[in-house]
Parts: sequence; C-alpha cells; structure tokens
Amino acid sequence: MNPRDKKDEDRDDETEYSPFYGIEKGAVLQDSRVFNDPQLDARRCAQVITKLLYLLNQGETFTKTEATEVFFAVTKLFQSKDVGLRRMVYLMIKEISPSSDEVIIVTSSLMKDMNSKTDLYRANAIRVLCKITDSALLGQIERYLKQAVVDKNVVVASAALVSGIHLLQTNPDIVRRWSNEVQEAVHSKAPLVQFHALALLHQIRQNDRLAVSKLVTSLTRGAIRSPLAQCLLIRYTSQVIHESSNGQGDRPFYDFLESCLRHKAEMVIFEAARAITEMRGVTSRELSPAITVLQLFLSSSKPVLRFAAVRTLNKVAMTHPLAVTNCNIDMESLISDQNRSIATLAITTLLKTGNESSVDRLMKQITNFMSDIADEFKIVVVEAIRSLCLKFPQKYRTLMNFLSNILREEGGFDYKKAIVDSILILIREIPDAKESGLSHLCEFIEDCEFTYLSTQILHLLGNEGPKTQDPSKYIRFIYNRVILENATVRASAVSALAKFGSVVEYLRPRILVLLRRCLYDNDDEVRDRATLYLKVLDEEQVAKKYLLEDVGVPLENLESSLRAYTSGYQLDESFDITSVPRDVKGPSAQDKKLAPGKKPQEVSGRGLENGVPAAGAGAQEAYVSLLSSIPEFAQLGKLFKSSPPVELTEAETEYSVNVVKHIFPAHIVFQFNCTNTIAEQLLENVSVIMELTEGDEFAEEATIPLKSLPCGAPGQTFVLMSRPENACAFGKFSNTLKFRVKEVDPSTGEADEDGYDDEYSLEDATVTANDYVLQVAVPNFRNAWEVMGPTFSKGDEWTLGVRDNLNEAVQAVINVLGMQPCEGTENVPSNARSHTCLLSGLFIGYVQVLVRLSFGIDPQKQVAMKLTVRAENQAVCDMIHEVIGNA
Amino acid sequence: MGIWEALLNWLRSSLFFKQEMELSLIGLQNAGKTSLVNVIATGGYSEDMIPTVGFNMRKVTKGNVTIKLWDLGGQPRFRSMWERYCRGVSAIVYVVDAADHDNIPIARNELHDLLSKPSLAGIPLLVLGNKIDMAGALQKNELCEQMDLKSITDREVCWYSISCKNTTNIDITIEWLVKHSKTKS
Repeated sequence: MNPRDKKDEDRDDETEYSPFYGIEKGAVLQDSRVFNDPQLDARRCAQVITKLLYLLNQGETFTKTEATEVFFAVTKLFQSKDVGLRRMVYLMIKEISPSSDEVIIVTSSLMKDMNSKTDLYRANAIRVLCKITDSALLGQIERYLKQAVVDKNVVVASAALVSGIHLLQTNPDIVRRWSNEVQEAVHSKAPLVQFHALALLHQIRQNDRLAVSKLVTSLTRGAIRSPLAQCLLIRYTSQVIHESSNGQGDRPFYDFLESCLRHKAEMVIFEAARAITEMRGVTSRELSPAITVLQLFLSSSKPVLRFAAVRTLNKVAMTHPLAVTNCNIDMESLISDQNRSIATLAITTLLKTGNESSVDRLMKQITNFMSDIADEFKIVVVEAIRSLCLKFPQKYRTLMNFLSNILREEGGFDYKKAIVDSILILIREIPDAKESGLSHLCEFIEDCEFTYLSTQILHLLGNEGPKTQDPSKYIRFIYNRVILENATVRASAVSALAKFGSVVEYLRPRILVLLRRCLYDNDDEVRDRATLYLKVLDEEQVAKKYLLEDVGVPLENLESSLRAYTSGYQLDESFDITSVPRDVKGPSAQDKKLAPGKKPQEVSGRGLENGVPAAGAGAQEAYVSLLSSIPEFAQLGKLFKSSPPVELTEAETEYSVNVVKHIFPAHIVFQFNCTNTIAEQLLENVSVIMELTEGDEFAEEATIPLKSLPCGAPGQTFVLMSRPENACAFGKFSNTLKFRVKEVDPSTGEADEDGYDDEYSLEDATVTANDYVLQVAVPNFRNAWEVMGPTFSKGDEWTLGVRDNLNEAVQAVINVLGMQPCEGTENVPSNARSHTCLLSGLFIGYVQVLVRLSFGIDPQKQVAMKLTVRAENQAVCDMIHEVIGNA
Repeated sequence: MGIWEALLNWLRSSLFFKQEMELSLIGLQNAGKTSLVNVIATGGYSEDMIPTVGFNMRKVTKGNVTIKLWDLGGQPRFRSMWERYCRGVSAIVYVVDAADHDNIPIARNELHDLLSKPSLAGIPLLVLGNKIDMAGALQKNELCEQMDLKSITDREVCWYSISCKNTTNIDITIEWLVKHSKTKS
C-alpha cells in the first residue's frame, strides 16, 4: 500500500467517526439524572448536555414531559461554578425552548449572570435572556442591555447587539432607544462589534430613507474596519443608489464602490463588484473595473471565489453580454472545473456571450458534460440553449438536434418539460425549425410517461400539423396514442385528429374512420369528443368554427359566467356569450396595482365592508351585487366599468372619503365610501352634494344618503348622474359632504338625542377618458391591427415638451388614455432614443380601439409622438385625439 | 508553612468534618425568603428588595457545613414549580409573613398541598414566622395553630418566630439547619 492511499483511508475513517454515532434518546435521558446528583460532576454533566444538543440538532423531538424534565434538571446546574458547564446550560435552555410559563424560572439566575464578573456568563446570559423574555420583563433589563452594547468586552457587546436585532422584531420601541449606544458601537475597534452594530443600526433606521442615506454618507468616508461590516455597508450603499438615482446622470457613491474593488479582503472586493454589476442602468464604463476584478477571481484557487465570480458574470451576461466577452477564455477553462455548479454557470454564461462561430464547438463540449450533471443544472443549460437559438436562428439545426438528443435520455418531469417548452418556443419563433421540431416531438410522445407533456404536444400537433407539407405522417403518431395511452391523452389525441380532419380535406374520410373507432372507447370523455367531432365534421363551416376558432373571451370569465347562468333563474333565455366580461385581470396585473405603497394584506383586510372590494377580477362582481341591491339603480342596464377608488380626503383626516365611479350605458353612479374616525361622533343622514364645475352633459338624477355612520364602520352614499347614451362625457365636480352630527358618550357608547348639521368639503372628482375604457389586451397586436383595417383611423403628431426620459413620456400617455399596453411595449429600454408602444382597449359601447404610439426624443430631451388610432367607428378615433389634445 | 496550612485545611474540610446539605426555601411572595438568605449568608439586611423572578441559588458555609440554598420565587406562577426543587433536599424551609394575617390561609393551603406530594415524603420541615418585629405579628404558638402544623405527622416539623430585620432567632434557625445536615458519605 503506498502512503497516499493510507492517508486517504485515514481521512475516510475520520469523517465517518462521530463520538455520538448511534446514541439513543432514552439512554441519554436516563443519563441526564446526573444533573440531580448532590455532588455534581461538571465534566460528565457537560457531556450529557452535548449529547442532548446533538440529538436535538439531529431532529430528534422531545415530548413535552421529557423537555420539561430535562429543562428543570438543567436549571439545577446553576449551582455549579464550572464555566464550561454553565455555557452548556445556556445553550441547552435556548435549544430545548420550554414553554414560556416554565422558562421564567431561570430569569432571576440569568439576570444575576448578566451582571456577573465573568464576561462569558454575561454575553451568554444576555443572549438567552433576550430569547426568553417578554416585553414586561424587557423593561426591567433594558438598561443593562443598553450598557452592554457599549461594553469593553467584544463578546458581550456583540451579544447585546445581536439580541437587539432579534428584539427589534417584537419590541421595536425599546431597541430604538439604544440608537446612541449602537452608533457608538459602530465606531468600535473590534470588527465583530462593528459588524453587528452596523446591521442593527441599519435595521433601526431602515424605514427612514433619509436616515439610511445619511448613515451611508458618513460611513463611506472610511470609518469601517471590519470586512463584514464593509460588505454590509456596500449593500446599504447600493440600496441608496437604487433609490436615489433615476438611471441618469452622475451616480452618487460610485467612487466608493469602485474604491472597494481595491480593498484587501476578497469578500469586500466581490461584494463591491457585484453591487456595481447590479446597479440600474449601469454603463459599460462603470462596469469595466468590476469585470476585471471578477475575471481575476475566475482563475482563483478557491472554489468559492470562482463560483461567486462566474455566477455574477452569468447575471451580467444577460444584460451586457459584450462586457463579459473578455472573460470567455477564462470561463472556457472552467467547463472542466471539478465543481459542477461552476462548470454549469460557465457554460451557460458562454452560451450567452458566445458568437455564432463558437456555437458548434460549445455544443460539442456541452454534450460531453451533460451526462454527469443533475437535472436542475441541465434545465439551466436547456434554457440557455433556447435563448441562444433565438439569438442565432441559423444555428437551429445543431441546437434542435441537441435538444432532441437529450429529450431521449433519462430525466425527470421538470427537465423534460423544459426541453419540450424550448422546442415549442423554437417551433413558434423559427418557421424553418417547425417540421423537424414536430417530428422530434412525435418521436418523444411515442415513449412519454408524462401525461401533461403528451397532451400539450398533441394540442400543438393538432394546430400545426395540418399546415405542414405532409400532414398524413403525423396521423400514425396521434392514433397510436388513442390505442396506447391513458384517458386524458386519448381525449386530446381525438381532438388533434379532428383538427386534421377539418383542415385537410383528402384526409377527412380516413379520419372519420378512426374517429368512429374511438366511439367504443371505455372512457366517457373520449367517446363524447369523438361523437361531437364526427357530427361537426359533416359540415365544414361548423367544424372550422368549433375546432379552430378561439371563443374570444378569457376561459375563466366564461366559466364563471356559465356558472352564474346555470345557478340563476332565467334559464328560459339562452346564454349570451357577449355578456361574458372580456376584462382580463390576471394575478400579475393585480400585483402591479398593489405594488406601490399599499401591501396586499392591507387591501384585502379592508375588504368589501369598506365598499372597496379587493382589486382584481372579483371587484366588478362585488360592485354589481352591491349596486343591484339598491332599487334606484335597477334599471340602469349593464355595468360597463368601475374605476379604482380615488381618495377625496387627505390621509388621517376626521372623515375619510373615496369615490368609485360606475359607468353605465347612459348613467354614472358615484359611490362615496365614507369612514368616520372620530369616536365621539355619530354621523347621520350622510350625503355628498356634487356641483358641476366643468362640462355640461351631466344631470343629477338621484342621491342616496347613508342613514348613519358610526365611528370605524365604513358606509356608502351614492349619487346618480345621467349622460347621453354611450357618450364619453367629461366633467369635473366639486364635492361637499353633508351630514348631521350627534355627540356620542365614549363611556356608554350612546348618542345624544339632538345634533346639528355640518358640512365638510372634499376634493374635486373628475370624469375622464380613463373611465370609459376597459383595459383589454389583444393576444397578437399586429394581427388585430391588420384585421381592424384602416376604415376608421386617424393619425397625428404631437410634441410632448421636455421630459427626463422616454419612459416617463410613455407612462404619462398610457395613464391619460387608460388603455392596456400590449406585448410588453410599456417597458422602455433605458437610454432608448425611440420607442413604439402598442395599446388596446374597449370603449364604452364595447367599441374596440387599437392605438400605435411612436415616440422619439432628441438630445435636448424634447419628446415627439406620433399617434395612430384604429377603431370600430370614427367617433372614437376622434375622441382619442381629443383626449390627448386636452391632456 | 503554606503547604502545612493547605494540608491542614484539606484535612479539616474534606476528610473529617466537612458536611453538606441542600435546602429549599419557599413561601408566598414578600414573605422574606431572599432576605433570610442574605441574613444567613452575610448578616446584612436591606428593606429594598426586588421580587425573585424564578430562583436564586446560593451556597453558604456555616462552620463546617456547606449549605446549598434554592431560594424560590413566591409568586403564584412559580408555586407549581416548587415541588421540583424540593425533591431530595435535606430540609424544606417554609417562610411565612407573620404580620400578613390575610394571606395566612393561602400560605397554609399551599404548604399542605405541597407536603401531600409523595415525592417529598419524610423530608423535615421548618416553618418560620418572619417579621415578628412588626406590630400584630403572630406569636409562635399562634403560628402553629394558624398553619395547622400539628396535623403534619409524617415528618419532623419545627417552627420558630424570627425577624430578619432585627436578626431575632436567626441563630437558632441556623442551629436547626446545621443539625439536619448529612455527613458527607
């Protein structure tokens, strides 16, 4: 045996050997009786505690009785003066976490230890005490903690600071009072204290932007010694940069980040480099020093540095591929790195930065490498290859072959799904790739264990197959599914067959034969579909309509409308598909609306009682049911749109009021949601007096007052206005809240008999174009634009004056029109000089409108806009221009 | 010289005379338990005490006896835990505020509840009526009667009236305690 082998063997032994291997809970609990011995053996007790801690960390659970027994036994160990044992006692109390009514038994002992002369006692006692304490007790020990923050001993100060970070979650007010002491600790000489103090100070101030900014400004001048604290500071700095800069002009603190690249600690260098790469709208000049540093890390001997560097470069490659190309040579050598994570990241980065000529070489390297990485890495590679293929469509043959090869190999669902999705996307985006892609997929479903993927592919085959040159070759693959697979797949195979039958005339007789065979399937759904398709295929027009056309409304909305129809009473009328709302409000749209300012919980917490239903698809329904409960509104017709609530009062005033505008064909209902925040008042007979200040097409028809408005319980009052039918009438109203005040005795909650009338003036409400548009996206704007044709259209050019950037101008116009941006065109790339934005919507009367906006910005920041509208009638085209002209 | 002294100390303490005992000190809050510990340990007395949250552990050496004292908090939330710290002790010391007539019945019930626990059978009990310096405090025989001590027959029971403030009868208390210490085996 050579010496090297022997050494390896030794090491193996070392790793396997654990002194606690195989210990049992029962035996250890038995052992813990030594804690009750009159003559304590500190060494032995410490060993038993170690075993208990080991068990806890291995995930062993103790029953309540066991935990209680152990806990009380451990408290007996406070009699020992052994420092090591005491430390184990602290750990044990923290880990076993007994119930709160038992754990208080150690409070007094811990308080004694907190003021002991032994620093080790003090630090640990602080940590344990803060963990078990409640807010009442915290008041008693607060001053000790405050002193400990500035203690000379590093361990004690650190313990107090870390405890502060934990306590901030539960008792923020108390911890905030330590600000001065924490500030002092930030300037401590000890690195650890500085680190923890900075973290705590930032947490105390994190909700105050100005304070954070000040903190960063003062500390970037070089007061920080600890590398860890420096890393934190870099993070806070990049946060400040993110919040303060608008992506333009001079960036504050960039010099600080850049100087950190020359720090002697690697972690600081890396943190700074990463912060620079993550800056919003970073320029390549700003990037280059960071990239240079990361490039050095790529050839470091430490795996963690290589990993960190390549991961960051990978992210940079998504936005600035050119900046990373310098590192390509270094990354190519990383493909053979022992660490698979590093290798995967290197490959995917190279795929992003590579040029067309290097694709073949890279693919060869990847093929060797795919077999020995895990599924999640493979998914990353597949996604990278997909984007590469979209970048270089000429290379689709190589890449598609690669995808089909790996599709044949073993793999889990997520991996297979990633591959199939990639092929689907390639088929959609690259017309040349369609035929080969489809045949790869056909082969795949011959041996596919995932129902979801099979049905997805069958659906695609049904849509795309008939349009290919030789549709008949797909039939075999599809019919094989009918013979071999489970019911779900069989049903979708039947649908796919029917699509071939309706499009390809010469195949139809044969398809009918196949479908007839499906009539004997033993699954209901399969038989139903076959019967339906056999019937409709007789008539070509009907078949096309049923099989190939979209229903034109979102399926979820159709479902809920049908449910409402079947549960209603008017079943003698037939269901009208035009009554299905077309308003798509997916979860993403909701999130966007909620994101600024309000947290989702708050919104849902307010709920319907407030008259403000949570935003989203449910809102409209909730409003409809609210309004239909009021007799005056029964004859108004179908609700077209409800606006989001607009506040008519400042925040935190005596009465808070917001308004929701409900647009009906010939009316507008203003719903005022009122909240009374004065506990001593009961408001009665509350109404809003609206006076028209601009516009003349409105006439007030009715006011529905609110009988009583007690404190804290929101209520609604309504005003009904009429306007010409299906017209977009604009106007502005001044509003006054009128009510009768009755004093309420806070102790009894009873209101006085007599009150007095009072008024409260509200802010103005407006009715604008926004209110008459539904945001409805069209799936393919170009198609819709062509289909609409130029019959009713109008184009014009506008200058929008000086703007900071194009994004601002685009958002402003979108807001004025209130229409739905399509195909992600609302996002303007930073520093863009021109941009085209596509909008769609439904105007009152359900008139579809499409708008194409072209923006340009000149060096003087003058923004020009070309506006082209196509709609289903000319009036709406003119109106859009009018709206822009008035804005 | 130093070596001789050390040797002598070692002989005296560990070989021949060293005795050890463990005591639990219980009673309602504000009875004067922590004060008693201080008086026994240092002889000092302070009016200004804070309630014990949980327990204090003190070791006191009197002559050749080392006494481990578990001084437990007397608030209601700690009373259920007394029993755990009384198991296996040499003696239970129950302190009563003799001047607080209203709470005597509660003190009596708590004591009898505790003593009914099988784990504490046979452990000697010393009841101390504290604060006899105050006017209207119960006298020794009144204490016995009010606390119904005569009914306890399964163990050795003794009672004194003491005052931590004036150090009254502290000496006989210590004497009683020392007498009940076990010789180290």
